[in-house]
Amino acid sequence: MDELLADFVAETREMLEQSGSELVAWEADPSDRKRIDTIFRFVHTVKGNCGFFDFPQLEKLSHAAEDALAECRAGRREPDSALVTAVLAIIDRISEMTDAIEAGEELGTGNDDALIAALDADAEVEMQSDVAIIDEEVEIAAPANDTQTEAAPKTPAKGVQRSIRLPVDLLDEVMKGVSDMVLARNDLARRLREAGEQPAIDGPFERLSAILADVRTSITRMRMQRLEHLFSSLPRLVRDLSNELGKQVMVDFEGSEVELDREMIEMVRDPLTHIIRNAIDHGIETPAQRLKNDKREIGLLKFAARQSGNQISLVITDDGNGINVERVCEKAIANGLYSRSEIDKMSDKQRENLIFEPGLSTAEQVSSVSGRGVGMDVVRSNIERVGGSIEVSSKPGEGTSFHLQLPLTLSIIAALTVGSGDQRYAIPRSYVEEIVFGNSSHVEFAQAGDRRLVTFRDKRVPCLSLGEVMGSETNGECDWTSKTLILVRLASDDVFALAVDRVFDHEDVVVKPIAPAIMETRLYAGTTLLDDGRPMMLIDLPSIAQMRGMVGGVRTKSTIAEKAEKVMKSKAVPVMLFAGLDGRHRAVRLELVRRIDTISRDAIDIEGDRAQAVIDGEIMTLAGHDTGPLPDGRCRLLRLSDGEHELVYAVKEVLDAADVTEDVVPSEADTAIEGVTLIGGKPIPLLDGHAVFSRYRATKKVEHTLTCRIPEGSEWARTILEPLVQAAGYRIAGEDDDVEADLAIALAEDGEVLTGGARETIRLRPEPEDAGDDTIYRYDRDGLLAALKRIRTGRAA
Amino acid sequence: MNELLLMCTIAGRRAAIPAVEVQSVIEVENITPIPGTPDFILGLTALRSQALTVIDCSLAIGLEQACTSKDQRAAVVDIDGHLYALLVDEAHDVGEAKSEPVAVPGGFGEGWQRAARGMVETDGGPTLLVDIEHLVSGPLRQAA
Repeated sequence: MDELLADFVAETREMLEQSGSELVAWEADPSDRKRIDTIFRFVHTVKGNCGFFDFPQLEKLSHAAEDALAECRAGRREPDSALVTAVLAIIDRISEMTDAIEAGEELGTGNDDALIAALDADAEVEMQSDVAIIDEEVEIAAPANDTQTEAAPKTPAKGVQRSIRLPVDLLDEVMKGVSDMVLARNDLARRLREAGEQPAIDGPFERLSAILADVRTSITRMRMQRLEHLFSSLPRLVRDLSNELGKQVMVDFEGSEVELDREMIEMVRDPLTHIIRNAIDHGIETPAQRLKNDKREIGLLKFAARQSGNQISLVITDDGNGINVERVCEKAIANGLYSRSEIDKMSDKQRENLIFEPGLSTAEQVSSVSGRGVGMDVVRSNIERVGGSIEVSSKPGEGTSFHLQLPLTLSIIAALTVGSGDQRYAIPRSYVEEIVFGNSSHVEFAQAGDRRLVTFRDKRVPCLSLGEVMGSETNGECDWTSKTLILVRLASDDVFALAVDRVFDHEDVVVKPIAPAIMETRLYAGTTLLDDGRPMMLIDLPSIAQMRGMVGGVRTKSTIAEKAEKVMKSKAVPVMLFAGLDGRHRAVRLELVRRIDTISRDAIDIEGDRAQAVIDGEIMTLAGHDTGPLPDGRCRLLRLSDGEHELVYAVKEVLDAADVTEDVVPSEADTAIEGVTLIGGKPIPLLDGHAVFSRYRATKKVEHTLTCRIPEGSEWARTILEPLVQAAGYRIAGEDDDVEADLAIALAEDGEVLTGGARETIRLRPEPEDAGDDTIYRYDRDGLLAALKRIRTGRAA
Repeated sequence: MNELLLMCTIAGRRAAIPAVEVQSVIEVENITPIPGTPDFILGLTALRSQALTVIDCSLAIGLEQACTSKDQRAAVVDIDGHLYALLVDEAHDVGEAKSEPVAVPGGFGEGWQRAARGMVETDGGPTLLVDIEHLVSGPLRQAA
């Protein structure tokens, strides 16, 4: 019996959620029979179930609502907003009762009779109800079937997802089991490595690993919920609020199929509610006002969700009056948050974002809806607590948008693992802006009182040593130049540098809560397990910053302008500048660099043509060692990755990150570089990632690669065309390759030679003018690459 | 009355932890220290894929001497969803309580008075029944 009851409660809840939005939609369009049918089915089901369980009050309520709706369906009554309000009140009461049933409490009589009375348009209808019901019962079956068959072809894609209900504990249990399995696998992997290569075991083990990874992903997905769950409750909220405030608001959803961690959905519910309240209360104008402003009298509140990587972006837009920036500023000055001169210096964006400052509310009058002292600052801190961020943009008279960025799950975060003393710690990567070495020539240390300052890129930022925070060393004994500095930007835009001994890696970590006694130190936000099963603490940067007074200290207003500039130069190619072992400055595309390793000279083994380095127990191919002598002691390596393979490139010093905005001038003399470009007015050779990988890596598996024949005996083809074609994923067919190539590239001026023996041909012309003969200009890089890609994908398919 | 107890030795004294609270008894191998925490929190250790907070029972009671243990035995308990490993000198067997926990005139002495729920009679003689929730919050918080 208990189980049946639980099912009843769960089913009722589910239907409650759905019918909430249906009701509002129905009110907007009373002629929408489908909505009425849905709500009717809901109360009808409740009524039926109640009879079964013997809840006379619940039955009476649902019966009354059913009657009223039946009248509407039969066309004897026009649904009006009074009826909708009354039905909503009943549905609310049903929801309350459901809660009470679940808790095993008395239902209480409440004012059920008044609720039922509110349903009646006039007394006559009720008198007839006995008769009407009999009619309706007959009718119910028919139209219900009709709408189903009608609706089915219209919305087949919506498809009913087959689902079962599972207790969350069970999911967590399974999740834990899988985590255990991953640890056991890691342990096994280590032992297998130690035991040497055993093909008979390695194969199946690899497969096991792959399956395990899949299972882990699926389990993570099991914790996900579609945003629909969050959205479905919003129309009702918007309706209630707008009614209360005498406004008309329409809601629009986009991306309700985006999935988010169940817990995360609960965490954003409150902030979202608050934003909606604000939008309706302050943003959207009254209908009269809107008509005066040449807008539709119904305001629009739009929710758009999108997944990008492991982040969800949620944009809430209203078409109201926008933020009155002037008033926000006045208020900020009046409340003593900022001085007039500080405000004058701010960009428009910063002024808009003032609304997130604590102690600021623009509402002149405190209404019942918003402006109750709980401000946007609470919204922001709530969003930030779950690792998200919020920004606002607004256009006067046109509306306001809130941009929320949320991590996909609460429990998995992207982290940087760092070392300090003998310990490893994880730092949430969202705070990390940049990593620099303390001994880099761009970094200068200074001291003001006892406070260490570091100057980097002409900014002076305060510096904290993680070792000192953790109590393993004092500031006095700290050797700053041997440290790695992590520039941390908090959500409040405060920047400081955190000095650590080493930066290990970036990885996604599963964060678990920690005991209250550890929480009290306010140093840690959680714990996570390393692959080998050892625990590692996750550092609570905002809290440490606050304890150390890093918040609100040296404000770095200038950096925002810098950021805007960066966006403008979006075409620029980011590169990393370094000094090779010979001391010459070079650059490498930043995308290639996975991380920077520092190892001791002993870990490098060079013998003849073979050069290898040992990093974290792994042997990696070493490149770049031939340009000059290896330094004694510690050696810095760039770990380059082409997505599949990794190798390390020895450098003397890592200098800086820069953007290549000038053209890269190809060099024919040096095949190891892509070309030379100007960075800061100096010519810098740009390392050719392709050349490095092709030289130090065995050629790629040939069977999967398409072959391409390029004109032989042409200098241009060999030096310019060949790398491009190879980079596009082709193997260059040699002269003695007799097989039919997949593609041949011919120069138009050579005439019709060498097109045999290839399935496709691209012809290149020397002049930029379009000759109208399907040729491609030889320096039309985009055109050429597009053609290469088209042929490759065509072949693969 | 017949409550089952895990018999152990804390700071050389006979003590007991209610067996229903104890999930398992483990030998703690590696402890990752956590800087910045009070002394009685030794650090974290991993049990399968979970991190346990390791508590030195002796220090947690407020005694000056840390637990001296050869095999680093600890009782695993779950308090408010957090797992703790309570490190004791020695963990013995599970025994039966022969009496309700009672107070003893004059108390059990500094520290013990706060951390013990009372004295129970067992087969091995009078034993102090430890209040594990007091243990995990440490000596400082109790004083406050």
